[in-house]
Amino acid sequence: MATQSARKPWGKTIIFGILSAALYAGVFAFADTIAAHFAQGSYWAAGPIATVFLFSYVHGEFTGNLWSVLGIEATRKPARKTETVGKPATVRPAARRATLNA
Amino acid sequence: MDLLALDPTKFIDLTASGVCFLFLVGFIGGLVSGFIGSGGAFVLTPGMMSLGVPGTVAVASNMCHKFPKALVGAIKRFRYGQVDVKLGLVMAASAAVGVQIGIRIQQVILEKWGQVGSDLYVSLSFVAVLVLVGGYVMRDALRCARCGGVETTAPLALRLQSIELPPMITFRRSGIRISLWFTLPVGFATGMLAATIAVGGFIGVPGMIYVMGVPGLMASATELVIAFVMGLGGSINWAMHGMVDIRLVLIILGGSLLGVQLGAIGTTYVREHMIKMVMAVIMLIVAVSRGIALPRYLVKLGLMDMSPEMLDVLGKISFASMCLALLTGAVIILGSMWKGRAAAREEAHGQA
Repeated sequence: MATQSARKPWGKTIIFGILSAALYAGVFAFADTIAAHFAQGSYWAAGPIATVFLFSYVHGEFTGNLWSVLGIEATRKPARKTETVGKPATVRPAARRATLNA
Repeated sequence: MDLLALDPTKFIDLTASGVCFLFLVGFIGGLVSGFIGSGGAFVLTPGMMSLGVPGTVAVASNMCHKFPKALVGAIKRFRYGQVDVKLGLVMAASAAVGVQIGIRIQQVILEKWGQVGSDLYVSLSFVAVLVLVGGYVMRDALRCARCGGVETTAPLALRLQSIELPPMITFRRSGIRISLWFTLPVGFATGMLAATIAVGGFIGVPGMIYVMGVPGLMASATELVIAFVMGLGGSINWAMHGMVDIRLVLIILGGSLLGVQLGAIGTTYVREHMIKMVMAVIMLIVAVSRGIALPRYLVKLGLMDMSPEMLDVLGKISFASMCLALLTGAVIILGSMWKGRAAAREEAHGQA
């Protein structure tokens, strides 16, 4: 139990949490202006697409680490055995335990 | 200084209650998506519209939050060994064709019967597809539950896998080998449904399970790849027309990225039939919800008579039941996770 809590990604959670909060604060401080620019369409289309990619990385890292810090992590699952017909392509792999914190 | 102003006809003023509502629906929608591969869109779009967002902006903003959410969910589930990227890309390619055909059908209906006809077509498609497919998935989930949660390959999928019709494709991650010709209709139908009711996964996931023989866990995770590819394409299109409200997108994304990760984690705690169960329950409740909304369109087309007050009540019941569908799914997921965690702890305790 002690080793489990020692492995909890507190540092990453705090860093990405601050970054995520800063990004949200930055965008919403100028929300109307940014939304108006992005609504011009054409080449401005890159704006919302790039923004959501950036947020999905930063906020996604934060949320993933947050669940780990809260002790909610994936568990091991056994592989499902199924019938195969004709040329069996491959053996269905086992679902692996997550080892990263995202 | 930039004096560009926000168009009030396209962009609403944000209120605290509106922000909380979108964040919460984003979270629950994300939770369901992370678990079954799709969901949330059917509540988010009408939900945004109920806040005063125009339909096109609601659809565009919903789609723009959907693809990064799907990306994060797909990466998470890929790390659990649940995603078949090759299958996802093959399906996404045929789904893209389905989307185009679906849009064309919608345009033809719109030209012939107007907006009401189009709405009726969408609602009828909702009811017909969700009742048929949802009923079948529910029956299978119940059968699986009775057999102790052991999932077996569907007879149709076994039959199709045994037919050697070139080109044959091997999907190593899913452990199947099947003709390309049998994957195309599934992807195509997914795209058609996505263009019609905005939730292609309601046919994509059951299609992969029952037609192709992909395990439920793998199918629901792979659906996230399809949602990402299709969502990205659709979002670029909408953004080029200036229809995306980035404020709404980021609020929903804030909640949905929390939810999608939790839903993905949840898949590792539950037995495989639970994915089918959650999907079927949501599909059947949504079907009822759309059924309740049908009289409005029938009245507008002059095929039925009903007072405006009654129609208003039915509209509210319809929206509430859609929210209920999402909420029920979320409760089942969280309940199953809770049980799964307790069982895992007990097992670990017993081994110690």
